[in-house]
Amino acid sequence: MNQIVAQARLDANWRAIEAELLAPKPNILERLLGRCRVPSHVTRVIVATPALRRAWYLALAVAVLVGMGATNPGDRASLFTLLLLAPTLPVLGVALAYGPAADPMYEAQLATPMRGLRLVAIRAITVLCVAVVALGIPSLLSPVARPMAFAWLLPALALSSASLALMTWLPPRRSAAIVAVVWLVGVVLVEGAGSTELTAFGTIGQVTALLVAGAATVVVCTRRSSFDRMEYLG
Amino acid sequence: MTAAHVAADSVTKQLGGREVLAGVHLLEQGGLITVLGPNGAGKTTLLRCLATVVSPDAGSLVIDGLDPRHEHERIEIRRRLGYLPQHDGLVAGSTAFDTVDYLAVLKGHRDDRRRRRAVFEVLDCVGLCDRAGDRVERLSSGMRRRLGMAQALLGAPTLLLLDEPASGLDPDERLRLRHILTERRGTTTMFVSTHLTDEAAISDSVLVLVDGVVRFAGSPQRLASVARNCTWVQHDLPPPGVRASWRLADGRHRCLGTPPPGAALVDPTIEDGYLIIRDAT
Repeated sequence: MNQIVAQARLDANWRAIEAELLAPKPNILERLLGRCRVPSHVTRVIVATPALRRAWYLALAVAVLVGMGATNPGDRASLFTLLLLAPTLPVLGVALAYGPAADPMYEAQLATPMRGLRLVAIRAITVLCVAVVALGIPSLLSPVARPMAFAWLLPALALSSASLALMTWLPPRRSAAIVAVVWLVGVVLVEGAGSTELTAFGTIGQVTALLVAGAATVVVCTRRSSFDRMEYLG
Repeated sequence: MTAAHVAADSVTKQLGGREVLAGVHLLEQGGLITVLGPNGAGKTTLLRCLATVVSPDAGSLVIDGLDPRHEHERIEIRRRLGYLPQHDGLVAGSTAFDTVDYLAVLKGHRDDRRRRRAVFEVLDCVGLCDRAGDRVERLSSGMRRRLGMAQALLGAPTLLLLDEPASGLDPDERLRLRHILTERRGTTTMFVSTHLTDEAAISDSVLVLVDGVVRFAGSPQRLASVARNCTWVQHDLPPPGVRASWRLADGRHRCLGTPPPGAALVDPTIEDGYLIIRDAT
């Protein structure tokens, strides 16, 4: 009997050692997030989420392009381009990272105890962070201090929240498209009125963005169960 | 660990204006339940409802006394659940280990070491331990199906829902699948949808779903017996009016329906019973 127990323990220990030896080593991003004290299980969700990769690539590519296109601090047109396009990045990123059309593992992960809202929030924050870093670095490296160069942050938060709120009724891509189109048309109409002050990104614009973000967050929390169901089957 | 108790009462579901489930009743605890039915019969939707990823339009569904309409109870059901969707959705670029590890995190395995061990245990269970580091696109379709099976087995679920688990598996792999399923009979309630009638032979119970309605529920033997006295073989071409017929390797015809006088009746199979039920109006 002793020998059987010992053998069973030996097998269990051997399996544990084998698992440690065979497990893939953490990559650079995983180690970096670990140093930033992000819990390891959250790190795994971020790093191992296949659907996030496309969103990251898109965010980085567009951020770099927009950042390069807005390098002249004195040029209103380049700044306007940055402020107009930057907030749509996280929205598009989330649309590419969540939902049955974007994520092949959508159905399998939906049946896990992880709340859908938490999962989509982790992805949205990840995409937002990548976009902020990718767009923030060119702005910081600019020789002239440009506080307006960061005026897209609150609108980005508002659009992302609004997109998530709309996703409780509509498929992610449709939600993102609606929010992005409304934003682009709205800003172009406001700024097309001849203003030189970039009104949409001034104080009123920022307060409006904050209110939209708050209202959208309330909707998302109230209707969070929608993220736990395959509501996009039609 | 007790097998999950599943009770469904008059469950209906419409998709795209079509009634996919039309008043399904279920009462099961423990054992292997095979769900048979033609394409579009509602098998996948039934499993999705049981997996709590789709909510029924009407009727009640209760699993272990928990109602999936309530958020906290739905989460609790999902803790007890292993689910293999029809399309496993494995993503190229990820390794076999990463795929299962990612879902293990979502299933609440937070401790790194324990999670890694759990991942390797289920990979070992489906015979993929030595392919853990391989990228998904390098795996054959059968291996990919087994990988999907591995994630479903994580955490020793008491309710296992497998949508077409045998598709793409070779005979050896199907044998392994049977072994995995049969050794869990006592501790797990397993719903397995399939279009392979021979897979139903090892099950404790068979459901035949046609047009969203459960047309038959009972043992495989009872399903086969539905075709008793309705199955015969003959050398001549089948007479008009038979429900189904096909040519055997020896040139004779196997026929289902009302046998003509003097017909050579044979023992019916599960497939014969299924075909009789499917075609019954």
